[in-house]
Amino acid sequence: MNAGQSRYGYVFVSGYTLLLLAFGLLPTLYALYLSFTRNGAFVGVDNFVRVFGDYRFLPAVMHVALYVLFWLVSLIVLVVVLAIVVHGIRVRWLGNTARFLFYIPGAIAGASSVLLWLFVLDPSVSPVSALLHAMGYESLINVVAVGNLPVVFTVIAFWAGAGSWIVIMYGALNNVPVEVMEAARIDGAGPVQTAWHIQLPMLTKWISYMGVMSLAAGTQLFVEPKILAQATKNIVPEDYSLNQLAYLYAFRQNDFSGSAAISVMLLVVALGLSAIFIFRGKLFERD
Amino acid sequence: MSQHSSSHRRAARFVAVAAAATAGLLAFSGCSTDASGGGDTSLGFTQAEQVADSPITVWVDASREPAVTAFQAANPDIEVNLETYDGNAGGSGSFQSKISLMDQAGEGWPDVVFSTQQNDAIWASKQTTSGEQGFAAPLNKGFIEQDFLDGFAAGSLDYTTIDGTVYGLRNDLAQTVFYYDQTLLDEFGYEVPTTWEEYGELGDKLAAEHPGYILGSMGDSFMTYVYYGGSESPVFQSPEANVFHSDTADANSEGISKIIDGMLANGTLVQDSFFSADFASKYAGKLVGVPGPVWYTGAIFQGALAVPAGQIGVSAPLKWEGGDVAAGNVGGGVWYASSHSKNLDAVKTFLEFVTSADEFQVDASSGYPAYSSAAEKWLDKQAEAGYFVNDDFKTVMSDAAGQVWSGWNVTSWSPETAWAKIVIPGIADGQTVESLLPAWQKELENEATVNGYSVD
Amino acid sequence: MTDQTTRAIVTNGAPRRRERHALTPGQWIGRAVVVLVLLVFAAFFILPIIWLVLAPTKTNSQLLQEGPFSFGSFDQLAANWNELFAFGSGVFTTWMGNSAFYSFTALVITLIVSVPAGYALALIEFKGRRLLLVTTLIVMLIPNTALVLPIFLELSAAKLIGSPLAVILPFSFFPFGVYLTYIYFSTAVSRDLLNAARIDGAGEVRVFAQVAMPLATPVIALVGFFSFVANWNNYFLPFLVVGGTKIPVQVGLANLLANVPAFNPTTASSIVIQLPTLALATLISVAPILLIFLFAQRFLVEGMTAGGTKE
Repeated sequence: MNAGQSRYGYVFVSGYTLLLLAFGLLPTLYALYLSFTRNGAFVGVDNFVRVFGDYRFLPAVMHVALYVLFWLVSLIVLVVVLAIVVHGIRVRWLGNTARFLFYIPGAIAGASSVLLWLFVLDPSVSPVSALLHAMGYESLINVVAVGNLPVVFTVIAFWAGAGSWIVIMYGALNNVPVEVMEAARIDGAGPVQTAWHIQLPMLTKWISYMGVMSLAAGTQLFVEPKILAQATKNIVPEDYSLNQLAYLYAFRQNDFSGSAAISVMLLVVALGLSAIFIFRGKLFERD
Repeated sequence: MSQHSSSHRRAARFVAVAAAATAGLLAFSGCSTDASGGGDTSLGFTQAEQVADSPITVWVDASREPAVTAFQAANPDIEVNLETYDGNAGGSGSFQSKISLMDQAGEGWPDVVFSTQQNDAIWASKQTTSGEQGFAAPLNKGFIEQDFLDGFAAGSLDYTTIDGTVYGLRNDLAQTVFYYDQTLLDEFGYEVPTTWEEYGELGDKLAAEHPGYILGSMGDSFMTYVYYGGSESPVFQSPEANVFHSDTADANSEGISKIIDGMLANGTLVQDSFFSADFASKYAGKLVGVPGPVWYTGAIFQGALAVPAGQIGVSAPLKWEGGDVAAGNVGGGVWYASSHSKNLDAVKTFLEFVTSADEFQVDASSGYPAYSSAAEKWLDKQAEAGYFVNDDFKTVMSDAAGQVWSGWNVTSWSPETAWAKIVIPGIADGQTVESLLPAWQKELENEATVNGYSVD
Repeated sequence: MTDQTTRAIVTNGAPRRRERHALTPGQWIGRAVVVLVLLVFAAFFILPIIWLVLAPTKTNSQLLQEGPFSFGSFDQLAANWNELFAFGSGVFTTWMGNSAFYSFTALVITLIVSVPAGYALALIEFKGRRLLLVTTLIVMLIPNTALVLPIFLELSAAKLIGSPLAVILPFSFFPFGVYLTYIYFSTAVSRDLLNAARIDGAGEVRVFAQVAMPLATPVIALVGFFSFVANWNNYFLPFLVVGGTKIPVQVGLANLLANVPAFNPTTASSIVIQLPTLALATLISVAPILLIFLFAQRFLVEGMTAGGTKE
């Protein structure tokens, strides 16, 4: 190592490190501090106990868990199937078009995608109102009944997010050597067997990556229920997800300690998942 | 990594320096928000430094936008920035959340806010967590003359009065009455119901003889006031400060729930919101009668359904057989002034204008003005237009204003959220209101606990 | 630019053609199922967008009564456009401007701090490098929403709430950008090249500016794209830290919702936003991102494909 170079190394990373400290480390530490104190005094796990005891907490955990479950399953199954199917298209422009069509909804995220889906889910204006009516839904209220919400949020998230995963999986499938595929075909393996025995194993690493990322992101559910709550005058409850609850603690109850306690719990989950993946997985091994 | 272990210390020092720099950056930027100037406390709150002729920012819901337009026409010298928001409708809490953000920022407060809810004074009068003064300015400590405040209908400022201090001015009164379509009643040969029992029976008859015609909607969360407040059901009571009481098993609660269930089942109560996009196209000419607040006059009959004059009548609020007349109260929005305003003169002019001036309250407002002199003119206007079929509609409405049941109280949270969360989706799912009563009460009590009330 | 990226991050194997064979009945069914699946999902992904493009050309009643994929008229589109931009004395323009300002400023800061950081992590030895790299990876894999409330609490303590900085600074922190530039520099730029420049007497700053930077255009574009999209679409953070006229369009959209009679009970008359206008607002709010997606389509899809190809 060269001392002069190393000095410049620090200069080059300084700006980023500053931001990392200010908006990565410091907020985490501050939230931790708040979550164990109340009005500046150390209170142990009192804040956590209070949040656990809140009648809204457990339902919010269940809501989020159910949504994450639905989302993960649909992502893993459908993304893999669609990637393999698209990869199997021999006509090149068709394959490219399919990838593009799947990917383009990724441009519409955040509040915009929820608003768009508000229209799609409202039988009075929906482009698929016939389908909604056929399923027995006469109004938005029916569609977004609390029991349906995990599915509704899954559909919204899948619509906006699945495309990029399909494209990534497609890329991973390019790694399967053509010779291997040919050999399998000559041995009499059908497309399903090839997919199961040859293509799927190639994807496991990416599937687990997708799973971990989506799990972490899913626990953060906020904008979808927030806007649906607003659009349905709170028939979709404003305390549906954990982040909404943390928001209510901070903005409605003026209880920053409680809010911090929920954030810390969510952060621990996200950090844990991400750390496990980095230290146990092999995806980011290059250093 | 291992070959560098000897120099951990230097890295640590670097991190420490960077952290200090970061903290410095944050602290530095924090210095700019200190309050300056002002400090006059003669009006019962600490005034911000006044800037003459500075523009005032007003938050209203879309329905109150004509108030601002009318004000601007009448006071072209005062610059008003209009911002619309949901008006806190349905107990959305957006008013409090938004102000909470401004309290954090230490700036950016609106000067005047309109809220459709009646309970905002409870939080808006309190100091913020950081010890700053509450958002709502006290109005009767010298800011607004007592003479003007005395012009409001008796009791109409009670909701916004805390320990003798008035924090908000009532926009309109919202006592319930019974609206009926005389043309349809004549056609079908029905009488106007006077009791809840008759209302339910009328539902049975109407459903059997004229299916497709309706007697109301359960699609909005404020129906909790219309049907439960109006039927003297002790569902939402605060007998003393920070104590909450709810009894959905009371005979009145059970009784009204059964009536609602019957009418939902026979289709005379629908689940579409009065304000849903296609309500008018589905139900224009089909609404035979409905209990509801006096602001239905403008908002529903003259507005959405566009029923012409000479067809609609109003009668006294429904009561129980053998009971006394009692009205529910469905809103009646409130205007608040900001204690942080830099142009209190303009704010005062604005508040007095929107609550009392004819240009808004009489000409453009959908409801029954809370300011007595405006209310008289509003009633005269309806009489002149011959809108109502019955000549005694003035008496009906003003009597109902004095008959609002006192057993329905205001707390720091809205009764509408529990209704929206439990009852509306429940009935949409085909359950009966009666079967939802325990869950509804549980939700109300849970909300009370979260809001720091003890449940009685 | 596309070629360079492709070469740099990628070897993108295109699917190969095979000879045609006569199909057995089983293969016919298989193929039919595949086509059906593709059609259903293509419809699922694209129909909402087509609907969104058509809805603003209609009146409210056309939207409610006509077929979902009918076209209204350009006149009605203009009317809806005027209604939207007249709303609240043109506040929609302010929101769009805020979004652009926050996203661009943050993008510039992100690039200024990420590119040198990624470069240093990839090509310069210094103590703490691995620590910084691992931390970056961990933070990068945390969903950005996980830090929003803690950042809000921190900014609140620092009394920065309400300031544009409260949005811009957290937006500028973009570990994924650092990771991308790190990957890029460690694969696309060889140390020998840099060393050669050093032997020629170039200082570190010059080596970075004159040797590495010119090679970095594709990754700058990529980081710029991801950062801009993430910033533009972010709802949660700005929702918590700025209010009033400082909100970006994502938060503004939700405010518009409050003026749509169909979704708000107290809205009885006067100024209201009709559904087609709300659809138009939604469309305009995503238009910048949608345009970037359309124009950079090949670049992006190949870049992402490459991400998967990379082992």
